[in-house]
Amino acid sequence: MSLFKPTFSVLRRCVALNVSIRTSESRSIKRWVAPTLKELYRRREKVGPEPEKPRSSYLEWNYEAEVFAFGKRLGEEFDRDILKKALIQKEYANIQEIKAKETGQNLPTITDNYELIPEGDGIISSYVMTELSKKYPEDIAKAVTNYLTSEEMLSYIASHIGLKDLILTNEFPVANSTLCNTFKAVVAALKQSQNLAQAEKFIHDFVLSQLNGKNVYEIWDPKEPYKYLTRLLHQRGIKEIEPRLCNQSASNTVLACFQVGLYSNRELLGIGWGESVHIAKDTAALDAIQRVYKNYTTQLENK
Amino acid sequence: MSNSHLFLKPGFIKVPLQNGVGRYVGQLQRVVLKFCKSSGSSRGMREFIEADLVDFAKNNPGIVVYLKPRRHRTAIIKAEYLNGDIQWLNCRNFTKDEITKWIDLLKTQQKNSTGMRIRKLWHTDNPSIQGPWTPFTFKDPKLNLAKFPDEELSTPDHLNRTSQDELVELFKQQKLEELEKCENVERINATN
Repeated sequence: MSLFKPTFSVLRRCVALNVSIRTSESRSIKRWVAPTLKELYRRREKVGPEPEKPRSSYLEWNYEAEVFAFGKRLGEEFDRDILKKALIQKEYANIQEIKAKETGQNLPTITDNYELIPEGDGIISSYVMTELSKKYPEDIAKAVTNYLTSEEMLSYIASHIGLKDLILTNEFPVANSTLCNTFKAVVAALKQSQNLAQAEKFIHDFVLSQLNGKNVYEIWDPKEPYKYLTRLLHQRGIKEIEPRLCNQSASNTVLACFQVGLYSNRELLGIGWGESVHIAKDTAALDAIQRVYKNYTTQLENK
Repeated sequence: MSNSHLFLKPGFIKVPLQNGVGRYVGQLQRVVLKFCKSSGSSRGMREFIEADLVDFAKNNPGIVVYLKPRRHRTAIIKAEYLNGDIQWLNCRNFTKDEITKWIDLLKTQQKNSTGMRIRKLWHTDNPSIQGPWTPFTFKDPKLNLAKFPDEELSTPDHLNRTSQDELVELFKQQKLEELEKCENVERINATN
């Protein structure tokens, strides 16, 4: 659009002029105006939309101010140099070095976030795991930790705290893996700027809070629930499980529905339903697992 | 909902990144004030910049403020949010107070709120607490002990009475009345 801006403003002035000099004989808008506008519109359509540009290429961009505001926005006191280091990707640093050599400048060597990434990764996964294992058994805690520390989740968080525009990298648009790595590096930078407790608080507020409104039993998905349940109950001294078909409805149609209950020693362990007996048995096993783990956590709390 | 809202994109109220569950993060990340140094339509903007801008920037260190003077063009506020939204506001002939109010709105909202019709004032990710319905959900417990085939359960629930049933009932009633009459007559005879 910027290509045609001057032309459009000239045109607009012409149109305004024409409207103001209105006589009884002449047309208020000249005959050439509409075809010209149409032609300009056609050319604009032909060229297509302008490619997206990184925010840092705009005229109104001050990297120092952006980095300062980043820390303030999140309510954290970052060491400016460490934070800047955490935002520089290795590829970017390499290319800058090569450019400096070519032009013969003596720039100070740029340090990148390569070492900060594994450090931050370690802090995030260990803290999330310990926090979750306070409340959930190990299998679930592992699955939920994997979910929270996945590239998709971390890049989502990174882009929503405003890292997308700040990262110094060669690629545009910024890849998810880069966002994820930078988030890890920022956590490590926070630990180095302040202490581990502050970094953990940061993870608590931004990563763990993503579990709000989600069900862990939907995130954790055991492949074979019935086998898992038998193993689980075996550890707890229950050797025999008796699946019973409690109800069935419309069994030979597309709307078939079976209800299976799992019993042990005349006690109901779990109940579930599905469009076939096998599916119903699996849902019943999932229900039983949830009931077992509910008791498990309360037992832990009682201790 | 009025007609002017029909073609707006409908949506629900939503919070980005569970904001406020852990800590609150102001969602406005930068604001660009574009104005002309001489034009009358930018006067309010110039006054705002002279009087209030430094305080605004001091009180909101999380928002990056840019000033962009341009010759003979209308004053504009461009607000950029953390979720990538951009709100563009024409401030032609705005007074200083108006600009203060608009900037306060831009600061406190979480995204570009224009152009969306809010479908409901509440929203939930889990609309059902009971879970999906199955044929066994509200089953009568009496059915657990019933033995099939059961004559009573085999009949349809709402069967209209046939005219034959009505006739039979009328006939029975008539018989009863006749019987009562006979009894009364016998009783009177016995007392006499």
